[in-house]
Amino acid sequence: MVAYVVRLCLALALGLAFSLRPGVADAQGTIRVGITLRMLVENGFKYGQMAQDELLAVNAAGGIKGQKIEVVLLDDECKPDKGVANTNRFIHQNKVHLIMGSTCSSVTLPMVDIVTKEEIPLIIPHSTNTTITQKGSAWIFRTSVAERFYAAVHAKYLAENAGKKVAYLFTNDGAGISFVRDYKSYMADTYKVEPLYEGQMQETDLDFRPHLLKIKSLNPDVLAIGGQIDAIARISQQSYEVGIPSKVRRVSASAASNAPVPELAGDAVKGLIFAAAFSCTDERPIAKEFVKMVQEKYKVRCPDHDFSQAYETAQLVKLALSRAKLTLTDASLADDRKAIRDAFATIKDYQGLASGPINFCADPTPQCRDGNRTGILVEYTKGGKDYEMRVLARVGFEADFGLKK
Amino acid sequence: MEDASISAGDAVRRDLGARPLWSRLHLPWVAGALFLLLLPWATRNAYHHYILNLILINVILAVGLNIVKGFAGQVTVGHYAMAAIGAYASAVFAAKFGVPFWLALPAATLFTGLVGAIVGIPAFRLEGAYLALATLGLAESVRIAIGVTDYLGAAVGFSDIPPPVFFGRPVVDHIAYYYIVMPLALAGIYFSFCILRSDIGRSFKALREDSLAAAACGINVRKYKLLAFLISALYAGCAGSLQAHMAPGFLHPNSYTITEMVTLLLMVVMGGLGHIWGGVIGAAIVTVIYDLTRDYYQYQMAIFGMVIVLTVMFMPRGIGGLIDDYLAKRRFVAIRRAKANAA
Amino acid sequence: MLLEVTGLSKRFGGLVAVSKLDLSIREGEIRGIIGPNGSGKSTLFNLISGVYQAEPGGRIVFAGEDITGYPSHEIARRGIARTFQLLRIFTQMSVLENLLIGYHPHVRYGSAAATLGSASVWTEERRLKDEMMELLGFIGLTDYAEIPAGELSIGQRRLLALGRAMAMRPKLLMLDEPAAGLSPVNVDKLLSTVLALKQRYGLTVVIIEHILKVVMESCDTVTVLEHGEKIAEGAPAAIKDDHRVIEAYLGKEMGDAEVRAFLKAS
Ligand SMILES: Nc1ncnc2c1ncn2[C@@H]1O[C@H](COP(=O)(O)OP(=O)(O)OP(=O)(O)O)[C@@H](O)[C@H]1O
Ligand SMILES: [Mg+2]
Repeated sequence: MVAYVVRLCLALALGLAFSLRPGVADAQGTIRVGITLRMLVENGFKYGQMAQDELLAVNAAGGIKGQKIEVVLLDDECKPDKGVANTNRFIHQNKVHLIMGSTCSSVTLPMVDIVTKEEIPLIIPHSTNTTITQKGSAWIFRTSVAERFYAAVHAKYLAENAGKKVAYLFTNDGAGISFVRDYKSYMADTYKVEPLYEGQMQETDLDFRPHLLKIKSLNPDVLAIGGQIDAIARISQQSYEVGIPSKVRRVSASAASNAPVPELAGDAVKGLIFAAAFSCTDERPIAKEFVKMVQEKYKVRCPDHDFSQAYETAQLVKLALSRAKLTLTDASLADDRKAIRDAFATIKDYQGLASGPINFCADPTPQCRDGNRTGILVEYTKGGKDYEMRVLARVGFEADFGLKK
Repeated sequence: MEDASISAGDAVRRDLGARPLWSRLHLPWVAGALFLLLLPWATRNAYHHYILNLILINVILAVGLNIVKGFAGQVTVGHYAMAAIGAYASAVFAAKFGVPFWLALPAATLFTGLVGAIVGIPAFRLEGAYLALATLGLAESVRIAIGVTDYLGAAVGFSDIPPPVFFGRPVVDHIAYYYIVMPLALAGIYFSFCILRSDIGRSFKALREDSLAAAACGINVRKYKLLAFLISALYAGCAGSLQAHMAPGFLHPNSYTITEMVTLLLMVVMGGLGHIWGGVIGAAIVTVIYDLTRDYYQYQMAIFGMVIVLTVMFMPRGIGGLIDDYLAKRRFVAIRRAKANAA
Repeated sequence: MLLEVTGLSKRFGGLVAVSKLDLSIREGEIRGIIGPNGSGKSTLFNLISGVYQAEPGGRIVFAGEDITGYPSHEIARRGIARTFQLLRIFTQMSVLENLLIGYHPHVRYGSAAATLGSASVWTEERRLKDEMMELLGFIGLTDYAEIPAGELSIGQRRLLALGRAMAMRPKLLMLDEPAAGLSPVNVDKLLSTVLALKQRYGLTVVIIEHILKVVMESCDTVTVLEHGEKIAEGAPAAIKDDHRVIEAYLGKEMGDAEVRAFLKAS
């Protein structure tokens, strides 16, 4: 029995040692970047690929100041435990210099704690949850537009152009809940207006009509829809089924930007507006060029802000790397990570795909780390497979907008 | 066969009579524990320590699932939800009420055990696929309920769960956490051996095979079904609590879906249903495979599907079956040799 | 009376399997129960052992206690052990484990002690394994102790089923066709084992059996069932000559001499 147990342990240990390769950096003198995103959902795999391609492109041109980039790209499936595992892997196994991720806020939140403790710069391309940058971490930079700006984009524009009687209908997921919470608090803080109606449903619910009928009878100016793709499409559709007139502005959480929404909702999507960081119908030359590149290289008809932000984040990473003085030895890992972080903090007035400038600074505050403070409002002008939309407005904010005083 | 079996009776008698002292002192356990104490120092890579911790937590989960599914034959798909309950209970105790980890862990474990016993009640009437469906329904409602409960962080997640504090120092490094997880995993394995080799384990196996005959032998079928669910839920609760307090102390309902449950089932099936060491090895292998295939995320699901199919095709009794066969063969050979010597 | 059954009935849909049956078993006797196929013998066992619930009105009193409606395991714990017509031994468990399951009601340690693996558990386990090995010797399966029960021959399985019931240390042992499918030699072996066990442990035994030889040779009293009703009861010799029994078994057409010849042969 002893022999048996000992042998078993040995076999296990050998197996482990064999399967987990030593966590040594493959080569000195390369900059290692870890990317973790939600992959394999809609276009997710492609924007991960694009971020990787963008970073690796510098190697063909001789690298950044002669230093090559190495990328480890992993999927986290929008699951926090996976994101945590990937982050641990990047830090201890791949010994990366910086991490880019993630898509879902619930994944990014625990990642922030890890990078703060382990002191690795984390560049957040997609997550919008307001609390992420309020944790006081000195190691994170967000290139996506935080929810606190998003919600105000709608609220501000609609309060001025449509009206202040807002009916809310949302599903119980992170995006839906924080969308409505932020919208409501903006209306309360700025105009002292309470919600006209509030309905909450399950992520998996199919029939929203009972709520919508009540909303119709209240005659709102705005119908605010919080939720993910399916819920937004369904609520839009059912809002017309119950007869809420088209003069009521439909506004929804950022998930409305995803292609399935107009395809699922059909004509009901016409007039639906949502905040975004980017629209493929953007007429600016830099945007048109980007859209053309993605269409050709990644075969995506209309890259959304997930694409643009992944792209922009990659560009910002390259910019920061070019500004940082890196030694790139095993011993200098901590210093290099710090140098990259400090280089990020120097980025000011960066003009890219975002509708406004991106600004970072050194303080570990939301004012400094939510770099992108300009949202746009996008309106669907046609639904179905060949949907169309246009940029309705661009709204920029002060750095401390939406923070509790 | 005839020869061997004649000696088998003698061998049993021998076992019953004079067992060597080291065996009575549980020496194998001491040896194993010593090995595990030193194991993390074989590598300085904190990621390996992290994976070790994941393996050990999965070991606790798999060993617990093996008790209800492998021993007692109750087809439950709710085991992962039990882990979720343990995790969130522990998180609430620690983060909301300031209970130290050392109390939150046993409290959450006991709490989950109670819930597990309640979940076991449908097993009185349901069997097989129907029981699976019922437990699946319960598990999904647990996940959904967490996702809508603001108090538990809802869909944003439960963050800032305090780490264990050991003599005033927070245990956040993976290697330090290992020394909390490892003894618990070892204890879990030990207890499951005790259970399997005692009257409880036999009763579990009896009701797995034929609950009617078991009842005719005086086994209170309901009691033992409940006991199986309760014990396995204790394991799940403990594992959940360990998940909750492991750095960075964050929980989210997305980590407790049916996919995780299937992965857990794979560990137990690969290890061999009802075989303890098999389950342990299965947990280790599946966790490591899962980690290795992380790089090939595009193919991960396909790889896992293939592993399941191959396991079922070529190792229907899992790794545990291979171990059993090996041990049986060794015993057979030893007995034959003893006979030859005697002759 | 050790077992007192009164007015016991069982219906399956329209079919009356057992009908208003009365039955008294004296302590220490060997009772045979015979009857054509489908006459309700096994159903009677299932009713007594709590597998089926009897129709209202029936009453089962065992050793002075009314056990009507008790769950199976409670009845087993009070000292009624049974075998099944289809054996229902635990084929995936070893022969020894099968016996240990039978011993379950008498295991002295609690769940907590077992889980923690306290020393007393192992002492007790060793003791009861010893005891089971002795029983195994009695039924002649010592050499198969560690073999999965599923690998036993049919005759060995019958012995094991008997052994498992014996491991329960019952007051009343109910055997459902224990000798079915055995060769004549094995029938004798089984019979002598049962008798020896009875002697040794002071049992009361009820045997359902189609092999009349078994019933005639070893039973003190024989009860005959037909269509769920008791049609005769008495000493084997008297039963042998009872006209209704012969009719029930063989139909009316057979002549008396033929029947006698048949019974002798079987
Ligand atoms: N669970 C059940 N459901 C429906 N009918 C049943 C059930 N059990 C027994 N029966 C019926 O009850 C009648 C009596 O069956 P039982 O098994 O008691 O007969 P038996 O005397 O043991 O016959 P055999 O000598 O063939 O074993 C039969 O007609 C049988 O079909
Ligand atoms: Mg029968």
